[in-house]
Amino acid sequence: MHDTRTNTNRAGRELRLAQIGLHEEVELVRIDLPDEQAEPLLERGLLPGCRLCPVRLSPAGDPVVMVDGTLLALRRETADCLCVRLARGLAD
Amino acid sequence: MSASGPRSVRRPAAPGSEAGSTATLGERSQAPPTRPLVALVGPPNAGKSTLFNQLTGLRQKIANYPGVTVEKKLGVVDLGDGLEVELVDLPGVNGFSARTADERITRDVLEGRAPGLRAPDALVLIVDSTRLEPHLMLVEPTLALGVPTLLALNMADELHARGGAVDPSALGEALGVTAVETNARTGQGLDQVRRFLRAVAERGPLPERACPAVSNVAKGTPLPMADQFARRRRHIAELTRRAGFRAAGPSALTRRLDALFLHRVWGPLIFLVVGVVVFQAMFTWATPFMDGVEAVIAGSGEWLAARLPESWFRSLLIDGVWSGVGSVLVFLPQILVLFLFLGILEDSGYMARAAVIADRLMYRVGLQGRAFLPLLSAYACAVPAVLAARTVEDERDRLATIFVAPFMTCSARLPVYALLIAAFIPERPLLGPFMGTRAATLLGLYALGVLAAVGSAFLLKRTLLRGEPSSFLMELPPYRVPSLRSLGLRLVDRTRVFLRRAGRIILLVAVVLWGLTQVPRVDGGAPPIDESALAAAGHVIEPAIRPLGFDWRIGVGLVSSLAAREVIVATLGTIYGVEDADEGSIQLQAALQRDLDLGSAVALLVFFVFALQCMSTVAVVRRETGGWKWPLIQWSYMLALAYGGAFLANWLI
Ligand SMILES: Nc1nc2c(ncn2[C@@H]2O[C@H](COP(=O)(O)OP(=O)(O)OP(=O)(O)O)[C@@H](O)[C@H]2O)c(=O)[nH]1
Ligand SMILES: [Mg+2]
Repeated sequence: MHDTRTNTNRAGRELRLAQIGLHEEVELVRIDLPDEQAEPLLERGLLPGCRLCPVRLSPAGDPVVMVDGTLLALRRETADCLCVRLARGLAD
Repeated sequence: MSASGPRSVRRPAAPGSEAGSTATLGERSQAPPTRPLVALVGPPNAGKSTLFNQLTGLRQKIANYPGVTVEKKLGVVDLGDGLEVELVDLPGVNGFSARTADERITRDVLEGRAPGLRAPDALVLIVDSTRLEPHLMLVEPTLALGVPTLLALNMADELHARGGAVDPSALGEALGVTAVETNARTGQGLDQVRRFLRAVAERGPLPERACPAVSNVAKGTPLPMADQFARRRRHIAELTRRAGFRAAGPSALTRRLDALFLHRVWGPLIFLVVGVVVFQAMFTWATPFMDGVEAVIAGSGEWLAARLPESWFRSLLIDGVWSGVGSVLVFLPQILVLFLFLGILEDSGYMARAAVIADRLMYRVGLQGRAFLPLLSAYACAVPAVLAARTVEDERDRLATIFVAPFMTCSARLPVYALLIAAFIPERPLLGPFMGTRAATLLGLYALGVLAAVGSAFLLKRTLLRGEPSSFLMELPPYRVPSLRSLGLRLVDRTRVFLRRAGRIILLVAVVLWGLTQVPRVDGGAPPIDESALAAAGHVIEPAIRPLGFDWRIGVGLVSSLAAREVIVATLGTIYGVEDADEGSIQLQAALQRDLDLGSAVALLVFFVFALQCMSTVAVVRRETGGWKWPLIQWSYMLALAYGGAFLANWLI
């Protein structure tokens, strides 16, 4: 995979979920949304500290992510508000 | 109180004079509670309704997408030895933020604030064990309610099939709750659930108490909400690890099917093909059955006619009821084919994917992707669709969804469409053997409905219901093979609904209309139809509908179909049945071809695409929006569109 190349400069840095490639596992750091809008995400398992992995793009290009064994379909506008960090970078 | 001791449970007694439970309203508060109330709580799509049906023998709607149940539903579980509990099935909740109307129903029941319902005496928390850890987030807030609780780890079959494992007793001990593994589909583990319910029944209802509020996070703690969630989640991870839980692996079937159904090219293409196949099947598969039903109705009518003496009663039975109700019954097979396909789509898990595919369109329109599921269910009937709009979070989006739902082609329009298409559109192959002109016309009518819904939502979201587009968030359930039994039950239930309508409202209208064709009496007999009271009434409406190309017969049909759309078919059946009484069994299609030209037939179709002719929908919209404002706006708007559209069609063609 292309991990070795990208990880060197992306590891540990905060990225947006929308910038993450398919099948890259990341850890959620923060949800940049007011509590009102974040709560439904929190309720569905998108919590700071959880591992998530974009597994597919919908035909219109919106991400489908796997989190905690659940497949969640999001809009890319929402994915843009999710701050993540590469999981590999953490372990190193 | 006698109710608090063991073995004190009795069969429900007649309402006594004792002023009992004060926490509940309505007539139930008169009698002391005899059966404890048990609530089924859990995340959406965890199998609550499946378990409810197994335990009560009732038939709540079940489907493989989140947000199917949107209203509380009561049932009684018979536990033998005269022991019973009352079970309430609830809308699924991912948490207790109670943001949507359906989530508020669940919260109100749990807090004992639902009108006419006591606070639950016990809970069954049912979770999907293939998504165990996120679902266990509900345990802490649920246990905080302080009533006996059973944790049902459902979908045990899928957990094991995907390489997971859980030790219910170890997990239960760690969480401080009794836990059992269940498979609500097959009934495995149900005896343990019944044992729990038995203990609840033996103990009897809890005494009156003040119920605590249920919420996701404790109020008044300084920690930000996200951190509180994260802390609970870490705690659960620790507990499940100690209990030796092994999570289910990803479902290979789901991965493979999603690669196809959500593919950039194939996904939308399959979406369209599915639509085409359904419409074609509604014609090709249903036709032999429809011919069969038609033959039975015509045959039995003739048989009866030959045996009854010439009298008003024979005319009522044959020309009124048989031709009226019969002409609607013919369409049952077509409706069943539609429901068979809807059932397969709903039970398999495809529906949620369809919502994902349509989400961008919904976004452009200004609606939530969530709203797509209620709109799809409107293909069956607008009434459940209006209810299902409760799952839409934003109030303005919910109203917009309710507003446009009746534009989606419900199954009551189908007889009207099918009758007119069969009469006016010759069948020719279009796409080789895949689609003929008739299926294409039907598809076009459905598309026109969708277009009207989309366009109206677009307008609404920019005028009366302006607001930001909200987010879309949807769990995609794993694909499941629909069981033949559940598909069969859907068809049985649908047949029952259809026959009930035919036997009540349609029969009633047919009898009344027949009565109007028989007066005023001429020489002691029925008048020629053009001089009957019905024609007189029809002629009053005629000027208004002349520009659309309709005569008084259609006018009467339009008015009577205000009750329910398919009534127009019965009305025309009765009118032509009386008119052509000497011709034996009536040929509704031939009669229509005689009185309508292509332009007015298309105008009639267009009218039915747009108009809101359904009392039940108006009533449910009034209830769900809490007033007459929205149903009135909606009804007038749709009528204006229908009239304008029909006028245009008649003028152009
Ligand atoms: N394999 C398997 N499928 C199940 C089991 N229990 C339920 N299902 C299926 O799961 C899906 C959802 O079931 P429902 O009973 O509608 O779920 P619900 O919790 O009532 O869902 P909402 O009403 O949306 O909250 C259906 O397709 C069921 O057939 C089970 O134990 N095993
Ligand atoms: Mg349900």
